[in-house]
Amino acid sequence: MAENVPVLIGLVLVAVAGTGAVLVRDPVRQSFVLSLLGLALAALFLLLQAPDVALSQLAVGSALTPLMVLLSVRKVRRKARSERREEHE
Amino acid sequence: MNGWTAAGTALLLCGVAPAACATATGPVSRRVPAQNLTTTLLSLVFLLLAQGFGRTAYVDTALVLSVLGPAGTLLYVRLLADRLAARPPRPRSLLATTALNYVAVPAVVVPLCFATGPGRALVKLLVIGGLLVLGSRTASRAVTAAVTAGHGLAGSAEGMSDG
Repeated sequence: MAENVPVLIGLVLVAVAGTGAVLVRDPVRQSFVLSLLGLALAALFLLLQAPDVALSQLAVGSALTPLMVLLSVRKVRRKARSERREEHE
Repeated sequence: MNGWTAAGTALLLCGVAPAACATATGPVSRRVPAQNLTTTLLSLVFLLLAQGFGRTAYVDTALVLSVLGPAGTLLYVRLLADRLAARPPRPRSLLATTALNYVAVPAVVVPLCFATGPGRALVKLLVIGGLLVLGSRTASRAVTAAVTAGHGLAGSAEGMSDG
């Protein structure tokens, strides 16, 4: 039983982070929760003795996912702002 | 389950989980330093688990995270600079987070160094510890720089919108 405690904690962390990522509606806040989900998944993979999967998950989860989300948010906001300006003119 | 794995699990539960909660809630000014703290602590958890499982290859994940974690923080600081400047973090809490980083890294790395003994693995551990300390220092400096630069920019932006 004691052997399984770390894996159980990892599973709970992943479940909580995943549920949080679904429930949060603002994309900027969601990017933080998504990066946490990536970190939790990496920890779970390491606990399940799969360091190669954990490595790739770390690379994707901790830097690439937030970058994509934040860049998209920035682009959409800029577009919306320029459209609003055109309407005013 | 040996002592190292137990220590890693305890740090995961009592260190990473609260830091992750702080990252997932609250204003952006609290989330960015908390994100940096989360990655630092998780990297230390990976080091402890690597020692606990007796697999030196697992140290690589900690090495990757010690590079990518501060990179992620810098990314947030760069892309959310306007929000950080609008509601800057309290200097005291920023200082406390950085101090926690500085305390946690030697507290985990030094016992691991004694357990590992001299050799290449020791050098790798020291490099990871150095990267973690350097990363948290860079992150806190970037947050401070974004706040001060944002105040200057906010003034000029207001001037532009008036014109």
